Amino acid sequence: MLETIGLTKYFGGLAAVVDLDLNVHQKEIFGLIGPNGAGKTTILNMIAGSLRPKSGKVVFKGEDVTNLPPHSRAQRRIARVFQANTVFPDIPVVTNVRVGFHLHSEIGFWKAFFGGKRSTDSQEKLLYEKTMEILRLVGLYEERDKVATSLPHASQRILCLAIALATEPSLLLLDEPVTGMNAEEVAAMLSVIRVLRDERGITCIVVEHNIRAVMNVCERIAVVNYGRKIAEGSPGEISENPAVIEAYLGVDEDAI
Amino acid sequence: MFGIPVESLVQSVINGFALGWIYILIAMGLSLIFGIMGILQLAHGEVYMLGAYSIYFFSVTHGLNFFTAMALSMVTGLMLGLILERFFFRPLGGELLPTIMIALGLMIVLQATVTVGFGVTPKSIPSFAPNPAEILGIMLGSDRLIAVGVSIAMILLLYLFLKRSKYGQALTAAAQHREASLLIGINPTQMSVIAMAIGSTLAAIAGGLMGSIFPINPFMGGTALMKGLIIIILGGMGSLLGVVVGGLILGLIDGIAPVIAGPAVAAIAPLFIVTIILVLRPQGLFGHE
Amino acid sequence: MSKREQIKSFGIVALIVFLFCVPLLLKNIYWLHILCLACINVLLASSLRTINLTGELSLGQVGFMLIGAYTSALLSLRMGLSVWLAMLLGGLVAAAVALVLGYPILRTKGVYFTVLTFLVAEIFRLSMWYTPSLSGGPAGLSKIPAPSAINILGITAITFATKSAYYYLLLVIVLLSLVVLFRVERSLGFTWMAIRQNDSLAESVGINVMGYKLIAFVVGCFFAGIAGALFAHFMHLLTTDVTAMFGMLMSIYVVIYMVVGGQARFAGPIVGAVVLTLVPEFARPLKEYQPIIFGALVIFIIFFMRQGLIGLPYYLPLWWRKALGYLKKMPLVKVRLSQ
Repeated sequence: MLETIGLTKYFGGLAAVVDLDLNVHQKEIFGLIGPNGAGKTTILNMIAGSLRPKSGKVVFKGEDVTNLPPHSRAQRRIARVFQANTVFPDIPVVTNVRVGFHLHSEIGFWKAFFGGKRSTDSQEKLLYEKTMEILRLVGLYEERDKVATSLPHASQRILCLAIALATEPSLLLLDEPVTGMNAEEVAAMLSVIRVLRDERGITCIVVEHNIRAVMNVCERIAVVNYGRKIAEGSPGEISENPAVIEAYLGVDEDAI
Repeated sequence: MFGIPVESLVQSVINGFALGWIYILIAMGLSLIFGIMGILQLAHGEVYMLGAYSIYFFSVTHGLNFFTAMALSMVTGLMLGLILERFFFRPLGGELLPTIMIALGLMIVLQATVTVGFGVTPKSIPSFAPNPAEILGIMLGSDRLIAVGVSIAMILLLYLFLKRSKYGQALTAAAQHREASLLIGINPTQMSVIAMAIGSTLAAIAGGLMGSIFPINPFMGGTALMKGLIIIILGGMGSLLGVVVGGLILGLIDGIAPVIAGPAVAAIAPLFIVTIILVLRPQGLFGHE
Repeated sequence: MSKREQIKSFGIVALIVFLFCVPLLLKNIYWLHILCLACINVLLASSLRTINLTGELSLGQVGFMLIGAYTSALLSLRMGLSVWLAMLLGGLVAAAVALVLGYPILRTKGVYFTVLTFLVAEIFRLSMWYTPSLSGGPAGLSKIPAPSAINILGITAITFATKSAYYYLLLVIVLLSLVVLFRVERSLGFTWMAIRQNDSLAESVGINVMGYKLIAFVVGCFFAGIAGALFAHFMHLLTTDVTAMFGMLMSIYVVIYMVVGGQARFAGPIVGAVVLTLVPEFARPLKEYQPIIFGALVIFIIFFMRQGLIGLPYYLPLWWRKALGYLKKMPLVKVRLSQ
């Protein structure tokens, strides 16, 4: 479904990503791990469109999307959950998710300009229903009227996910979805990810530090270090791969 | 060359050069404040203007000796900087648009206060060194030479402060990476205070120097702010050296362009160049941002 | 429509009727002149707000006002074009320039954007100043014609020889412009709000951020251009002297109109422009203190009344309750307070 072919990115003289090949299959939960600074977020940025590679291609459903800007990728149903808590800060949760429906609410400039309230009302009702549906799915229904920044950290992460879901993606890019969460919250997030794949058929690429979480939820994992792929396979294969273990030497033992 | 006597060309260059150094002092303060506080202190030009008018006030109106007046002017600049930081910029906590609006408000308040208090007609401050000096067969105004000398001295002092003193090093760290500097225990409020103090004092000194060469008027702050902005955009804001280089380039353009290309190009070219630079680096002027 | 909306609509209609009646009640030419200027300022402040809805502050509205003014003036003066057409073209040229420059300018954000818009406006002004063939030099461009008479079915004609005629003209055009701005905001405002809150997140959900910002910018600059064209044909004289209409002070004043009136609401800039144009006229002797007062006012508003004048219905009860709270705490005050 998503392929990167020979993806390369330099920042000045520093090679951030070198010749990276990935092949993510449809409806897979695919993990991307590696030590700090390995280039995982850079790779995700190039898949999402906020960075252009120096060379190489990003191919989605057979289409070369390498040079498309992020909003065009969203149009092709690639959605992204950012690393930090990226929400719309001063508006309520429900409005946050409503923004995510932007692509599904194109009324057309002229109609909105001349039309009265009635022409937009029926569409608004539909989108409202869909918003509630997503909020119930992720467990934020109770908080729907709270201002986004008043939510605790973990709930904001889930809100990021909810916003991405509103775009009705077929590919979801999750950048460190469980960072900063306690064990309970991690489990909740992981189960949501599974549900997304099982019930909605969404392919997920998960970039994470929390290796246990990744091993838990991903079916296939690629490991990068210094911008290159050093291993790829099932969680079991990865955890026994000597190159991977070496890359993580110095990391706390119970992380693996 | 170009049918213009070399003598007047050289005079223009030297004028531009001297003025350039004065504007560097302004740009330095502006750069420091932007780097530490993240604020574009749009009222900085008015601090400079008040520095000039303080000298006028103390020396002409009150008959004090020029150097005493200059010292008092520096104190005025310092106090003004501290007041602005404490009561106008600190409470906003770095919010971008409100800070710009407050600075604009301060700008017109300060400018209009001086207009009302001193009138619009330019005032002259009697020069402390009226006799021109002769260097290499060219007549140079002593006031210009002294202005350049003082400016360079201030810049060297600033350099030493930033490199050698504890606070200076902290300031440099805070300018280059705000989050990291917090982690090592640098107090951002303290840094802001120091930045405003140094920046405003330098601006007042610049005002005094300019006042000793040219007549002053309440609108000189606007010009100075513009020059300061151009310099920091040309030179990049990360380094002292960048500001100096930017200032010299601008001084050169200001000096040569009117003679060679006429007033239109001289006025518009720097703005144009700086616009292009801003457009090509939309992410900002600090390399690491 | 709900009761509240009905009252609001009625209020607006009543206000508009009142505005149309003003010249009948007020025969003073000086005041009519001021009201005309107020109309133009309303349009300027509102155009600034349109751009501000995407989260950016433009200090360049006067630059586009200048383009609109000179385009319209020159087309009608030098090329004999009908003033109506010239004014429209003034706005369109300003919009075209905004479109062309918009893409590079809008790649910058925050303080860089603000500085850039200011530089661009200055470049426009200086270019005009140094092109006396176009700008008329220090003496300026004079004898800019009034709009040609409107013939009504050949029976009567509306000429623009009097101030009240101008007042009606400006009122109608500005009201129409406000209607357009209002509806544009209704269709695009939600998306603009998302961009203002977090533009990279907005981009990632499929919003073409550059496209939406560009629309706001072009629309805002179009109306700034129209305001300029209206100004030119109203004042019949244009200069690019630094202390005149198109300099830094005016740029700042437009921002002050918007902020003091209230950035967040559509009516904010309108209130701000009207109040700040009219009220100074009641204190004519204080004219030279005007920048001081305006500057102090915007600082006050930012610190104590962020919502602006339009937020008074919110602030007054708040302050009243606070004041009562203080009074209650004073031990020697034995006042029976109803709250």
